Amino acid sequence: MALLDSASPEDGNITPLLSGYYCALPRNFDEMVDREGRVRAHWRQFLQMLAALGPDEVNRHFAAADRHLRDSGVFYRVYEESAGAARPWPLSHVPLIIDAAEWRQLKAGLVQRAELLEAILADLYGPAELVRDGRFPAAVVAGNPEFLRPLVGVAPPGGSHLRVYAVDVGRSPDGRWWVLGDCTQAPSGAGFALENRLALSRAVPDIYRALRVERVAPFFQAFQMELSSLNRRDDSRVCMLTPGPLNETYFEHAYLARYLGFLLVEGEDLTVRHDGVFVRTVAGLKRAEVLVRRLDADFADPLELSARSRLGVPGLVQAIRDGHVVLANALGSGLVEARAMLSFLPALAPALLGSELKLPNVATWWLGDPAARAMALERLDELVIATAFAGELPAHIQRRSVLGRDLDLPARAALIAEIERRGVDFVAQEAVTLSTTPVWDNGSLVPRPFILRLMLARVGDGWQVMPGGFVRVADHADARAVSLQGGDRTADAWVLSDKPVPEFTLLPTADRIAITRSTGPLPSRAAANLYWLARYIERAEVTLRLTRALINRTTDNDDAAALVAGRIVSLLGAWECVPQAMLNVKPALVAAAALQQRDLPGALPNLAGAAQLAASVIRDRFSPDAWHALTELSDLVNAPFEQGLSESAIFERVNGALRIVASFAGLVQENMVQVVSWRFLQIGRRLERGLATCRFVRRFGFDGDPHGMLDCLLELADSQITYRLRYVMVAARDPVIDLVALDPNNPRSIVYQLARIEAHLAALPKRGDDSRLSPPEQIATALASRMRTAEASEIDKAFLIEVETALMKLSDAVAAAYFTTRERSDDAWAPLE
Amino acid sequence: MIYDVRQATIYHYASPVAHAHHVLRLTPIDRTGQRVHAAVLDIDPLPVERREGLDFFGNRITWVVLEEPHDTLTVRVAARIAVERAPTVAATPPWEEVRAAAFASADLAPNSPAHFLFSSRQVSLDPEIRDYASSSFAPGRAVLDGAVDLMNRIKAEFTYEVGATTASTTPPMSFALRRGVCQDFSHVMISGMRALGLPAAYVSGYLRTGHLPGAAQLEGADAMHAWVQVWCGDEAGWVGLDPTNGILAGDDHLVLAIGRDYADVAPLDGVIVASGGQRLEVSVQVVPVS
Repeated sequence: MALLDSASPEDGNITPLLSGYYCALPRNFDEMVDREGRVRAHWRQFLQMLAALGPDEVNRHFAAADRHLRDSGVFYRVYEESAGAARPWPLSHVPLIIDAAEWRQLKAGLVQRAELLEAILADLYGPAELVRDGRFPAAVVAGNPEFLRPLVGVAPPGGSHLRVYAVDVGRSPDGRWWVLGDCTQAPSGAGFALENRLALSRAVPDIYRALRVERVAPFFQAFQMELSSLNRRDDSRVCMLTPGPLNETYFEHAYLARYLGFLLVEGEDLTVRHDGVFVRTVAGLKRAEVLVRRLDADFADPLELSARSRLGVPGLVQAIRDGHVVLANALGSGLVEARAMLSFLPALAPALLGSELKLPNVATWWLGDPAARAMALERLDELVIATAFAGELPAHIQRRSVLGRDLDLPARAALIAEIERRGVDFVAQEAVTLSTTPVWDNGSLVPRPFILRLMLARVGDGWQVMPGGFVRVADHADARAVSLQGGDRTADAWVLSDKPVPEFTLLPTADRIAITRSTGPLPSRAAANLYWLARYIERAEVTLRLTRALINRTTDNDDAAALVAGRIVSLLGAWECVPQAMLNVKPALVAAAALQQRDLPGALPNLAGAAQLAASVIRDRFSPDAWHALTELSDLVNAPFEQGLSESAIFERVNGALRIVASFAGLVQENMVQVVSWRFLQIGRRLERGLATCRFVRRFGFDGDPHGMLDCLLELADSQITYRLRYVMVAARDPVIDLVALDPNNPRSIVYQLARIEAHLAALPKRGDDSRLSPPEQIATALASRMRTAEASEIDKAFLIEVETALMKLSDAVAAAYFTTRERSDDAWAPLE
Repeated sequence: MIYDVRQATIYHYASPVAHAHHVLRLTPIDRTGQRVHAAVLDIDPLPVERREGLDFFGNRITWVVLEEPHDTLTVRVAARIAVERAPTVAATPPWEEVRAAAFASADLAPNSPAHFLFSSRQVSLDPEIRDYASSSFAPGRAVLDGAVDLMNRIKAEFTYEVGATTASTTPPMSFALRRGVCQDFSHVMISGMRALGLPAAYVSGYLRTGHLPGAAQLEGADAMHAWVQVWCGDEAGWVGLDPTNGILAGDDHLVLAIGRDYADVAPLDGVIVASGGQRLEVSVQVVPVS
């Protein structure tokens, strides 16, 4: 490898950046330097600006990008298996830079390919002439699990199968771009690309501006407007149909839904009626005419597709047949992303489009064909063998693709036998060597292989290509495509413009956005999660207050304090914050249990976890700050006590947790627009607080006050200061109960909670033009009037139990009126005989 | 031979069902060697929506929506069906040729062998079942001979036992148990055939029995039955084999629906809004009228 061309003086100051680059450079194509070791023209300015900053400053800027991703960027995680196992997918800060001329070529190839795939889908789900004419063996279609038979003969509403399309490309040693794979089912990556762009453009704004990088926002705006234009009625909202928070790209769904202004829905939120598809919202059914589908098609309708799906919408296929709903992409579009397709595309392009493929795909042979099979077995060592459609290779190889020479002998023999028996299940592919792009490594650059994902969207009769992309970079120098299956880091892709680029953002600007004060319909499921989230948070606060009250009483070593402490402990026990077996141990241990026990429903770890889970399914409705508070709470209660379990450590932790809970409440109060979703949070919180206060009064408000019980009640209800200001005397029963239960101005009193609940219920959308009170309103109003007219002296335990019972009925009535619960049945037919 | 078929299917729910969507595959249609003179499907309670249609494989399906709260759902089928099957071709090609022809098929029509070559929802391709099936298919053996041999081995070596398996038992499970009912026997045979690259389909229907004096009662007579169709090349086409009884499907076998496995032909799929469980009662009568 030649050394840096020292004859180019403008490169002089970039030498230190490149000191480690050449020795690490494998003998294939590199994006940044050519074979002679010269920096390619379109990288120079970037490198010079980077060099001008100096390594320390570069580190500082890149760290800012990481911070941005971490802060907003809980979105930016890959979920594996369970909701708990989030894995950050770090940003490689150096963008891949693509010059304008090369981009034009890539773009033309991508658009041609999108058109080709659409034509193939239209044929295979229609007349299937390609099969009859012998261009496609029937088995390549019939063997593909994404060939969805209920959709055969169904013209996709809206006119096309594909509306979003992603392509993975790599560059071979000869400098040509090759398509490695197509994503047509429910392509992911656009949201990740957007996050990377925001993070990087904010971290190095000067470089980003100076380089004239093409903006990606116009692409998203075009996509958004195209889909909105498919709504035939004004009141329809575009919905993003997600499989839910367990999906690995759920954060992208929530992020894109928020960014594009689409309604994020799960299958359960939708219902099919004879005249269309509707979202169940707290204001009744709202029509949905366009679904951006991030749910795999086979799960979309348990009636006609996989009957085992619990994520789908029964009757959706019928609604599509009736032309009621446009899906992006259409059900069944995943058919053309199978590897087996790649072997037929080069010959199909001239037949269907009248021109050769502008962008070749990796050479692929379907092994159902006897000649291809013989050739592949002959050249097994140098070829990659992969499944033709989906799933893993047989013979315990446990991968989707493998290079022939990497197989051990038994696996090799087993694979050969299987190919000879059922060649239809396999493809052979030319082993691809990828090009490399620079990665920042402690002050200098090193080359690493990568795959570039490019995104397209149908707009009108044509296609728009997102000028940018999502780059997956390997952490090792092995440039064989087969060893880069997931990618270790991601990077942004910058497409340079030869013209000045206009500033453009989808973030609201005054002149572009029509004023609206509504945030659109609130799905019933989202409302339920908001309500339960608030109840969990409030319950956590109650448990924390009880725990603090308990710790406060461990320092006084007298009988009175011990009696109050005993009451607190029994209340903690009744609420399942501490195990029954622990009720007689030292109060400090009881307090620690309430903070730490994992298996108890009322203890902090469970409450914090439940709150997080409820919040995770409504991520699109939360500010990153509010989510951050929940994460913090969870982190705090799950942290070990480093210094041992002292009373002061417990006290400190309780106070820390209470501060986080208060900050969450503050964020909700101050930063959330006071629309319907906010009201469900408030109703949940008020109801839980009303219940807790009733119980506090029952435990501490009676039997006189020989032992400071009333003081404890005032402490739990956070009302000591008001009481002292009002009465300047020791706690007495009736005044305390009046303040804690009946005072309409005390934000902790029961009456106050009821008054707020009444107001929130009245402000919720009405179903139909029914002017009567809704069932929850009837309960709330009756209860509130009863409480408002009550005297402190008439309140006894029985009265309070009545109030608690009414509050629980109120909760059920709210659920019945606004939250759908749809229970599903397996409907298993008894065994045949 | 002409038959009257009556089937009653009754679901008893533990609590009332407020809303239900169902897909029914319970109406027989005309097929090669089979004519349906009349077929009526009654559903109680009365659906608010009811549509009829054909699925991809040409089976008759009925979509219904029920909105009247109900604690039982009754589906009654009454049909008059005439069956007269052509005798099976005696000589079929070697199984390797049939496999090659299926791989190369340029036919995507519903009865193309290409649809029945691959794993499907309820039939995985399992190496143990493949090895078991493989000993019926010596190199060069005629495909139907091999299939009949496999069918007879399943009949001989598996125990018919109601309750040993359920509707969702997988082929490897019933294969390991060496027991089950007609659905399991059919799934095992299909899995074995496909693993060797041979097209095999799943048939649901009815079986007439008890008409042969002194003959043993065939299994599957008073319930729905299931068997297998094997593709024997372009000329011989599809041939029915009943591994539960070890016989070729003849004029006693009435076809209701054909698919890749049970999931394609399940008599009733549905989604209901209800809590609690359900109990199912099925009765079938097949009476010859001539």
